[in-house]
Amino acid sequence: MRKSREFDNVLDECLERLLAKGETVEQCLRSFPEHADELEPLLGTALDAKKASAIQPRPEFRDRARYQFYSALQERERKRSRPFFSWGWQPRWVAAVAIVLVLLLAGSGTVAAASGSMPDEPLYPVKLATEQVQLVLTPSALGKAELYARLADKRVLEIASMAGKNKPERIERAARRLNTHLTKIAALASTQGVTAGVAMAPAVEEALVVEEAPVVREAPLLPERAGGGKEARIKVDRRARLRATVVRQANNNTARLSALLEIVPESAKPALLRAIAVSEAGYEKALESLD
Amino acid sequence: MQDEESLVRRAKQRDQKAFAQLYEEHFNKIYRYVALRIGDKTEAEDMTQQVFLNALKSISSFKWKGVPFAAWLFRIAHNQVVDYLRKKSKQATAPLDESLVSSDSNPQLMAEHSLDVEQLLLATRRLTEAQRQVISLRFAGELSINQVAKIMGKSQGAVKALQHSAIVALRKTLLAGNNEEVQRI
Repeated sequence: MRKSREFDNVLDECLERLLAKGETVEQCLRSFPEHADELEPLLGTALDAKKASAIQPRPEFRDRARYQFYSALQERERKRSRPFFSWGWQPRWVAAVAIVLVLLLAGSGTVAAASGSMPDEPLYPVKLATEQVQLVLTPSALGKAELYARLADKRVLEIASMAGKNKPERIERAARRLNTHLTKIAALASTQGVTAGVAMAPAVEEALVVEEAPVVREAPLLPERAGGGKEARIKVDRRARLRATVVRQANNNTARLSALLEIVPESAKPALLRAIAVSEAGYEKALESLD
Repeated sequence: MQDEESLVRRAKQRDQKAFAQLYEEHFNKIYRYVALRIGDKTEAEDMTQQVFLNALKSISSFKWKGVPFAAWLFRIAHNQVVDYLRKKSKQATAPLDESLVSSDSNPQLMAEHSLDVEQLLLATRRLTEAQRQVISLRFAGELSINQVAKIMGKSQGAVKALQHSAIVALRKTLLAGNNEEVQRI
């Protein structure tokens, strides 16, 4: 037992020297001549295993993952510092007052004027607020998913517009919003919601529960099986139509953005490429969830 | 270690650059660990991404107390892997995707490497769950014995013993595989 423990230590020390300090097998064997015969084959196997496990992620995945992580990082910061149009972190009365204001403005035609505004125009915040109101006033998960699909279309138009005007920062922001919309569609359409990988350490689980507190609450689409046959059929039809819409958007929007690469200024291309990656990955996820 | 501690503290205080640095430092290791554990490229990619998004959401709950950040991050990855494997336990496991191999430009090296990845994956499937975890964390995750012990909740001595038995078992399996290959030729 003691001998075995001693060998475990010797093997580990050699591995540490080989893997972390770059020493050779021979150097290690010289340090432990009494164990050399037993050590040599095991160190060879360990080195083979180490070499074989050096699996590299695909560059395109690495880029996409980095972009989405950095977007989430910035989104977290934005949520924290957002002054007015913040629905997740403001008291509920602020959201209510904003809704009333938007409804009042709707009467004056401001909302109509804002609906076609672009991210670099003064009425754009009104457009975003109107969209939030629409989401709040849409009760069903299916309805929300349909609305998010329409909003995704708008974001793509905005990305195209900002690319034409060579405004990379605006492209990035619109792409982040596009990513959020498509993620929401996927979450709403998924039977499991957004709880993939739930078996976490207790501390992690706790933190996730505390962090997740959106005002606009969504329920998964699929569990809506209850109800009469006719109602169920209507929902199935609507879901199929939503899927068809998302398929069409996935093809058109990605192609539309890709075509712009030929004509936009060089300085707008990196942001546009990232937006294309977001569009491709986001639509793919949404469609997977709608399958 | 001191550097990482200050980096983690800044990340907890919502310093974007600090969190970005932690992400860059650990991304490849987490991916390799997940890929070796589950052997599925697409799932490994999704899971790696989810590990970091979960870490971002949960960073406020991380308490230093001598536990390295890597151990905490790998713990999240481990839990996701366990959850995934539990769901997939009734399905047959697929061999590693070809695109999981190194993107080395030398075709001969790539062929050799590819063979090794496949062999390693098959060989690790013959290990016990604890042995497999030690091999994945040590060789793919590049963690020290101390860090592996923290993640697995075992003593360093126990992890060293598991490492020893895992390498012996791997060797036996790989040798048996080579002998079968030679007999076929």
